Amino acid sequence: MNSKLTSAVTLASVLVVSGLLSACSTSVERMDTQEVVDLSGVWNDTDSRLVSEEMIADVLSRPWIGSFVGSEGHPPAVIVGEIRNLSHEHINVNTFVGDMERELINSGKVEFVASSTERGEIREERKDQELHARQDTANAMGQEIGADFMLKGTINSILDTEGKKQVRYYQIDLTLISMADNRKVWVGQKKIKKLVKQPGLRW
Amino acid sequence: MLKRACFTRVFARPLLLSAILGSGGCVSSAYIQNPIEIFLTNQQPGLALSTHEQLPHKSRDQVLYHLDKAVLLRMNGQLSDSNTELEAAKQISQKLDAVSLREQTAAVSVNDAMRSYLPPPFEQVMLYCFKMLNYLELNDLDGARVEALQLDVFLQQKYKEKEPAFARYLSGLVFEANGELSDALIAYRKAHQAYQAANTKIPQQLQADLLRLTEHQGLKDEHRKLSEAFKLDNWITQAELSKQGEIIAIAFSGLVPHKHETSIMAQDPGSGQLHRISIPFYEQRKPDVENLHLVSLNKRQTGELFANIDQQANASLNDQMPGIMGRAVARVAVKNKLSDNMSKENELLGVITNIAGFISEQADTRSWYTLPQEIIISRMPLAPGIHDIKVTFENSAGANVKARELNQVSLQQKQKLFFSWHLPASTVTSRKRNHANTSTSTTIIYRSR
Repeated sequence: MNSKLTSAVTLASVLVVSGLLSACSTSVERMDTQEVVDLSGVWNDTDSRLVSEEMIADVLSRPWIGSFVGSEGHPPAVIVGEIRNLSHEHINVNTFVGDMERELINSGKVEFVASSTERGEIREERKDQELHARQDTANAMGQEIGADFMLKGTINSILDTEGKKQVRYYQIDLTLISMADNRKVWVGQKKIKKLVKQPGLRW
Repeated sequence: MLKRACFTRVFARPLLLSAILGSGGCVSSAYIQNPIEIFLTNQQPGLALSTHEQLPHKSRDQVLYHLDKAVLLRMNGQLSDSNTELEAAKQISQKLDAVSLREQTAAVSVNDAMRSYLPPPFEQVMLYCFKMLNYLELNDLDGARVEALQLDVFLQQKYKEKEPAFARYLSGLVFEANGELSDALIAYRKAHQAYQAANTKIPQQLQADLLRLTEHQGLKDEHRKLSEAFKLDNWITQAELSKQGEIIAIAFSGLVPHKHETSIMAQDPGSGQLHRISIPFYEQRKPDVENLHLVSLNKRQTGELFANIDQQANASLNDQMPGIMGRAVARVAVKNKLSDNMSKENELLGVITNIAGFISEQADTRSWYTLPQEIIISRMPLAPGIHDIKVTFENSAGANVKARELNQVSLQQKQKLFFSWHLPASTVTSRKRNHANTSTSTTIIYRSR
């Protein structure tokens, strides 16, 4: 009887210890990028995706593209200007701007012009081509396409905190401005509101 | 019964006496100077950083590890890395804000240092300030603005009154650098209110900023009242300042005083039980550098004291003192009850338990020791162009003790360029308990049953 009890205790101990050890080890689980996981309540990939989806759907459904193509006879060329983060968090705006660029280019309705930083690098490469590439393969200077519109915007936030509860409100405003006459041809807005509750106790 | 009393006389009393003497030896070791402080005083942040990384760190002190490392990194010119460490410390501090029953139990049964170190509000405010400044010096104005907004939320949560004025002033500088003058004015107003609430001298620079911005915003009544209160003859208008750029120099002088431990020890004449209560207190320090001057080709600007971190540290400790004393008294009761119970089983075990409880009673002397003691700011408007600027630091006698040169600084119209220096050299002027201003007192009344 005693030996049975000892064995049972030993087995239980091994199970408990192995359980504890497995809890201590790193675990990795692949997830669908569409799956919503909110850990801390701060700006995350889901917010970024929601913003880009809403903005893309909006910008492609508005009449500014049709009007431009009708008058100019070619798709509008857009450049991304400054998207200022005026929120309470350090937000990487490149993720949803990148999503927007991709969807707009793939729609075939809009062309995107490289940003000023990217242009500098490409111009350096073009200079290099003039010196080192075969003449029939080198790209000439002065053939760039000028942008017709600039996309600018801001991310703002309002926090309301009481004790361990916090309401986080984000407002993303994007504006498309005509380079020819400073007209605002499209204004997109997305609002996100979250209630975050912090734990009052910890281990 | 007679046998027990005999045992106590022969063995227990000498053992307990040894415990008192032994614990006294432990306390004195706290006064040995930290090697990191020696490197800091000698302006060797690289060596201080490598020493800091090599020293063992307890998991419950991980916030302190990140905070100290952040300051050492910024002293070493690694501002982005410093922000990474500050952000780590901020995240951990936010998690530690929740109460741990396990740690509270340990604090009431062993000592306060058994808890994870949660920086007091004034240290957390400095965390935001250093992050802001790192971003400003990296010319990431939006990043600095994010920190200013977060700091505002933190101050609203943690400070019902007596906000740290420097933090509000630095937020104002961030908003000004971003061209948001109305937000800057609000921050400067709050800094002004904080200086008034703390009954400390309002820097003339802040007075000039308030006059400049209230006039610019057309707040005539407020401007008139401030003019009457400040009686400042010379201040630059916003129209004049907008034609120029500005150099903003910040000196972090000295090191925040260290905490030490003081103990009240007593022995119950009847049972021979030892009682001990240990509480922390701050030493007194004096920074070597007391002011700074900016000198350009045809201009000279003197700095002003904007913050006494040591005063904030002392005020914070005084605020915490009722809790510290309460837990210390509770520990005496818990520990002596335990040794009483042990004595009933075995006299020697009771004595050992009493000694263990006596020795384990230690004050929590942890603190963010790489913080400066004083913060001095100087603002110098200059015409757009290239400038060579000499920065001199002087001691309380007005003698130059250090100098730095800012060569070929390119300044644009409306641009604000931020520079900061850490000058940790300082002298400890007192390590006596009696200078500490603690209003709480206690009397140990405990009798074993």
